[in-house]
Amino acid sequence: MRETCAVGRCAVRLVSVALLLCVVAVAQQKPVVLRGGKLLTVSHGTIENGVLVIENGKIVAVGAASSVHIPKDARVIDVSGMTVYPGLIDSETQLGLTEISGEEMTNDFIEPSEEIMPHMHVYDAFHAESEVIPVTRYNGITNAIVAPGSRDTLPGQDSFVQLAGKSAEEMLLVRDVAMPLNFSGEQRRNQGPFDRRKFPSTRMGLAAQLRQAFLDAQDYAQHWADYDRKKADYEKTKNDAPKPEDKNKEKDKKQPPSPPKRDLKLEALLPYLQGKKLVVLAADESNDLQTAVGLAHEFNLKFVLNHVSHAQSVLDYVASLKVPVIVGPIYEDPKPYERFDAVYSLPAELTKRGVKIAFASFDAHNSRNLPYQAGFATAFGLPYDDALKAITLNAAEIWGVADKLGSLDVGKTANVVVANGDPLDMKTDVKQVFIAGQEIPMTSRQTRLRDQYSGQ
Amino acid sequence: MAMSAIAVATLAMITIAVVAAAQAAPAAANEPAAHNEVLIKNAMVMTATHGNIANGSVYIKDGKIAAVGKDVSAPASATVIDAGGKYLTPGIIDSHSHIALDSDVNEATNPITPHMMMIDAFDYQDKEIYHGLAGGVTTSLLLHGSANMIGGQAVVIKHKYGANRDAMLFPGAPRSIKFASGENPKRVYGGKDQLPSTRMGNFEVQREALVQAQDYMREWDAYDAKVKSGDKDATAPKHDLKLEALADVLRGKLLVQIHCYRSDEMLTEIAMAKEFGYKLRAFHHALEAYKVADQLAAAGVGIATFSDWWGYKQEAWDAIPWNAVLAMRKGVHVAIKSDSEDFARRLNQEAAKTMRYGGATEEEALKMITLNAAWIIGVEDRVGSIDVGKDADLVIWDGYPLSSYGVPNRVFIDGDVYFDRSLPGFGMPHYKEGM
Repeated sequence: MRETCAVGRCAVRLVSVALLLCVVAVAQQKPVVLRGGKLLTVSHGTIENGVLVIENGKIVAVGAASSVHIPKDARVIDVSGMTVYPGLIDSETQLGLTEISGEEMTNDFIEPSEEIMPHMHVYDAFHAESEVIPVTRYNGITNAIVAPGSRDTLPGQDSFVQLAGKSAEEMLLVRDVAMPLNFSGEQRRNQGPFDRRKFPSTRMGLAAQLRQAFLDAQDYAQHWADYDRKKADYEKTKNDAPKPEDKNKEKDKKQPPSPPKRDLKLEALLPYLQGKKLVVLAADESNDLQTAVGLAHEFNLKFVLNHVSHAQSVLDYVASLKVPVIVGPIYEDPKPYERFDAVYSLPAELTKRGVKIAFASFDAHNSRNLPYQAGFATAFGLPYDDALKAITLNAAEIWGVADKLGSLDVGKTANVVVANGDPLDMKTDVKQVFIAGQEIPMTSRQTRLRDQYSGQ
Repeated sequence: MAMSAIAVATLAMITIAVVAAAQAAPAAANEPAAHNEVLIKNAMVMTATHGNIANGSVYIKDGKIAAVGKDVSAPASATVIDAGGKYLTPGIIDSHSHIALDSDVNEATNPITPHMMMIDAFDYQDKEIYHGLAGGVTTSLLLHGSANMIGGQAVVIKHKYGANRDAMLFPGAPRSIKFASGENPKRVYGGKDQLPSTRMGNFEVQREALVQAQDYMREWDAYDAKVKSGDKDATAPKHDLKLEALADVLRGKLLVQIHCYRSDEMLTEIAMAKEFGYKLRAFHHALEAYKVADQLAAAGVGIATFSDWWGYKQEAWDAIPWNAVLAMRKGVHVAIKSDSEDFARRLNQEAAKTMRYGGATEEEALKMITLNAAWIIGVEDRVGSIDVGKDADLVIWDGYPLSSYGVPNRVFIDGDVYFDRSLPGFGMPHYKEGM
């Protein structure tokens, strides 16, 4: 890092940041009204010349200018000519798990020592102060799934985060929201010469290991259930008078059952085996997809699909599973046998078949480009409204937060973006981002470098 | 494979990374028929040099642009293509690519390998060429990677997928040589416990090689002088491919393209070029160009950069998406390049980002992937704009090209259609799988 700004200029900037924060603090107390913009509500169409009212971090009114009452004490911001839309949701990122991806010490992506690591929780690594986060929200991304890397079949559990807040505590909206199960071949420990390879070095190994892990967890659950039953029995009968035939057997007196040893790894799998939480099933090609789905069915996992980038030949099958798909990234290179647009057209093909989709950057530094992926998919047949939904409401529904996020609706958290045009086009400049009603300073390490070197 | 952060981190080392080859089934050349005359009419012609022409036409003869304008007359025999009001741009030019080289991107066994010829590794059947073509790319500069301080000599191709190898080489393109600096050579050789493992070592190795080349030139000059003066006993010095290539750098016969991230290293490279009397064509990546844009402009060095790629390694930490436009405003030739088989397919979108970050005009943005990129390669008088006399390398777009929505509808190279989105299969009239 070589920030060498003049002391004087830094001082000026600090003062202005302080002023801005004061403004934010004051603004919070008063309702904020965004008046005159084009509102893309996502849930109930577009409102030209609309009004949106934010109070106490929530959206309290949305509608046409003529129909919305503007509170007397409100701070009214004229956003005429602007487009207003819900904060965007990136359905898989490594935000907060990396700073400089080539510098290992700044990365907390994955534990490669073993494959079965469901007891890794990204919230334990999530770095709220990462410089990557302000860069990301600068483009209107307000929420994201943070997932571990994909080189293990079970690398850990995802969190759903908000990209602003006083601390990690505040930003981690849902901890352990879901668990990735990766089955793309990438997880094989098959690098190097044969004598250096480790189990599992084949897909057979991957599948066997996963199956064993789930069986172990089932056994583990059974041991605890047995224990709980025995304990209940014991509690019920420990004060009973001994039976006559036991009278002289003092040493056989009832002992409380001893609990099984706790196993964090197997314990972590239980909510998924019980269908209480979502498994994110990742596969690229149709063969892997079907193997992974087979495993999921075998253990009654509740799942969504991830990637399916090269499964074009089985899209009807995908649709028949009636589960959402985190698609792509659509920038995945086509296979040599595929047409140039085989992956680009995947969102359209899935949507056509009635599959609910969401987009993800699968990245940290490039998460800011999430909306352009959705835009690009429209050039290959995805209807525009579906594209916008796939980075807002669909994502909120998939991750179980649609009561709070994903659309401009009364009662939802005020994660709201004001931009000078189409959210899905890279030429559009995001002017202001609100997260939980807070006016986020539109600055980042990058804007500071820009200003420093362009003499602003 | 998912584009995980790890995958991206690997991609970040892209110039030293192995480029995965998408091998096509063996395809014999299917040479296009002799050029017909073509008239593309009813297009929104984005010339890249003299604005847009609504309802414009381009008349192509013998593979060259013969006329451009609102009212263009063509003989009745010309094939007429009605663009239906769609946008027409020059073919996109990628000034930094490693596609179609299988794994042969880096001869990472010695930090100085100027005699490596990328043409010897060029795999003309690699589908990556097609993927770029379908993204509107018509010309690419295939460069050596950045493992070595002085890598090798580039090859310039046209994306005539389905043609034979030699038909894909850009005829008469100037020779370019790839230099590098910074983290990659440090890591590659430092990792082997060899020189260089620091930036001091990097530049020493480069300077040493240039000194040897000076000696080599001197020996040959002395010999040539003796021969000229009639000395029959003069003995010729030994031919050395490596030093011969470097001597050509010193003689100004090669365009020097330098992989360079940090601004201080750019200044060092400029100083070294001055010391040894050669000229630099462009810094590649050049993510800190905005810090020293005045000096780059003064030295006449261009940049081939990313629009917004950042944070993948320490020397990419100060990257800002305003870099391209800030440098351009100071008078630097700026191209947006791919350095990736992925970005090569959507350079139009990468260029469009410069309109937001820094406010490039439409024509400025377009130039960054056409005329300016052609300048980096040294073929700006041949391609890169829709002007009379230039090669008819053109793209008809579905949607507005400088947006999320632009997709090539048809791509012409030397006047022939090499890609047509409306066709089934791969959409390539000159290619059949398994031919």
